[in-house]
Amino acid sequence: MAGLARRSGIWLAAVAVVLVLPWIFSSGFAITTLNQMGVLIIFSLAYNMLLGQGGMLSFGHAVYFGLAGYSVAHVLNGIGAGTLPYVPVSLLPLVGGLVGLLFGIPIGFVSTRRAGTVFAMISLGFAEMMTALTLILIVFFNGEEGVQTDRWAGPEPFGITYGPDIQVYYLIAAWCLLATLAMYALTHTPFGRMSNAVRDNPERLQFVGYSTHRVRWLAFALSSFFAGMAGALHALNVEHVGFETVGVGQSGLVLFMVWIGGARAFIGPIFGAVVIAFLNSNLSGITEAWLLYLGILFMVTVMFAQGGLSGLILMHESIWKTDVRLFRPMVRPYALGIGATIVACLGAIGLIELIYFMSTRSTRDTGTSLYSVPVDAASLLPWLVCAGVAALGAEACRRAYRPMAASYADAIETVKAGAAR
Amino acid sequence: MTAHALELRNLRKSFGKTEIIRGVELAIEKGRIHAVIGPNGAGKSTLYNLITGLHPVTSGRILLKGADITDKPPYEIARRGLSRSFQVTNIFPRMSVLENVRCAMLWDLGYRYSFWHFVGRRRDLAERSEAIMEQTGLGSRRNVPAGLLSYSDQRALEIAITLASGADVILLDEPTAGMSRSETEQAVALIRKISQDRTLVIVEHDMGVVFDLAETISVLVYGQIVASGPPAEIRANTAVREAYLGPEAA
Repeated sequence: MAGLARRSGIWLAAVAVVLVLPWIFSSGFAITTLNQMGVLIIFSLAYNMLLGQGGMLSFGHAVYFGLAGYSVAHVLNGIGAGTLPYVPVSLLPLVGGLVGLLFGIPIGFVSTRRAGTVFAMISLGFAEMMTALTLILIVFFNGEEGVQTDRWAGPEPFGITYGPDIQVYYLIAAWCLLATLAMYALTHTPFGRMSNAVRDNPERLQFVGYSTHRVRWLAFALSSFFAGMAGALHALNVEHVGFETVGVGQSGLVLFMVWIGGARAFIGPIFGAVVIAFLNSNLSGITEAWLLYLGILFMVTVMFAQGGLSGLILMHESIWKTDVRLFRPMVRPYALGIGATIVACLGAIGLIELIYFMSTRSTRDTGTSLYSVPVDAASLLPWLVCAGVAALGAEACRRAYRPMAASYADAIETVKAGAAR
Repeated sequence: MTAHALELRNLRKSFGKTEIIRGVELAIEKGRIHAVIGPNGAGKSTLYNLITGLHPVTSGRILLKGADITDKPPYEIARRGLSRSFQVTNIFPRMSVLENVRCAMLWDLGYRYSFWHFVGRRRDLAERSEAIMEQTGLGSRRNVPAGLLSYSDQRALEIAITLASGADVILLDEPTAGMSRSETEQAVALIRKISQDRTLVIVEHDMGVVFDLAETISVLVYGQIVASGPPAEIRANTAVREAYLGPEAA
């Protein structure tokens, strides 16, 4: 019972956060970012049903996201023009989910016969095919222009028009909470458990009576449903669906989000979606090199933190559950390690920005600003300073990481010794 | 005549041109412990892989409780009440002991691919997994990820998964491989305990274990059964001695 209370406590807290957020971040820009986060949270949780829970690496999950987006845009336009019967706009995410399911069932049947490389290649094939179709099936996809729509369609129940962004925020928030709850609940069902089992050991799964194909297919279909729901909300949010939403780019983005956030924990994709959506809307305005930074972040997590950002936090879970005081000797080495990393990054980012500026500038003017400091990129000084800071940071990292790892190992040793007793 | 628990009729299997199983005839009575012994490379593991549907047979038939299961997929065979353990530990490493055991019983208890039940709230799942963990001595390890268990605990989990499916015909593949003397004794006691209302087939290299447990022994040499009978008879059989000790000893 205590467990139940604690778990519902987390959900109530989530509801509270969702209700309060737009009061704190009330600017139009912030609401747009929050809306994007909500959409991407659903999409990445759906994707993680495949990757983290079912062990299937897909390069084409945007197909269900995008197709649902297009469909919902057409439905909205139909309602607006009076050619389609009225469906409350609030329920359109369900329509999107059903569209995702409709495509996920047959495509899933074909592609989940095999896992691993074969599955990944088939998913890539479908994504490429959809991208090609956007230029062929003009009636539905409208080529490179995409489909424009207006979410202010039909009657206005309780005065909800979805005109202002804040109303869309609450729509996305409500569906995001519902979808998250549903996907979390799914992990505790027989299907969810067998999905983990097929990831861990597909051979043994067959000897306890399960067909690996059926389990993967079901996971694929349900995941497509939630991806479709996210696509529908995307269409409602930006009132435009373009060819890029069904393709490899969008599919890669969701893989990035899930991996950077961490595929092993349920909360990982939420983390990833929030971080990426935040960086996307904030960094893309500040630096043109933002995709490069995203790529580097992805590579670093692949190489050094396979559990993603959530994994870095959760690897300390057993420590705080045992005794929070165990963190005390870790504070200093961790502070040094993190500080050194920040210094190294500041230097490296400075260099990258200088290179980027010099190679992409359109005028002869070499004056730019770095960290709000005006600099002349043609002079040697900013280059030397950045290189110096980067080198200093790298050396500091080299010295600080070992004590940091050692302090972690010590704490874990203590935890293990305690557990053995 | 009641059907045998398991029956192999003129079973053959070739890999390329090499015939590994060369016309095996074997009938295993219900409720017995039946050991299959034989030198390395005799085809014991291949035999298991054929029975459980992992490999397609070249010719011949396999009957489980009288029903033909030849070339059915492994999950079909498992659903009909045949379960196997593996020589090389074959568990779900990232899931806890409890999860491992629970996964193995979901089909048998009728949950199939359900996504509308919560596994943590079902009494039948809780009761059977408690019983299985109790029986195999894994109760205190229930929340440990299976991949982190000690070797002998992993072997016990291997058997626990095999049992959890509720099968009444169980194939054990070298259940005591790599175990110390005392661990082997525990494993033998466990096997004896689980044999009470089930049919057991055991492939095992430890002759002490075989002669201790088995009620019937079949000897497989180069893909054929050369002798079958109670332990005392097998011990005295010249063909068996030849297979194990070479022609001079016989």
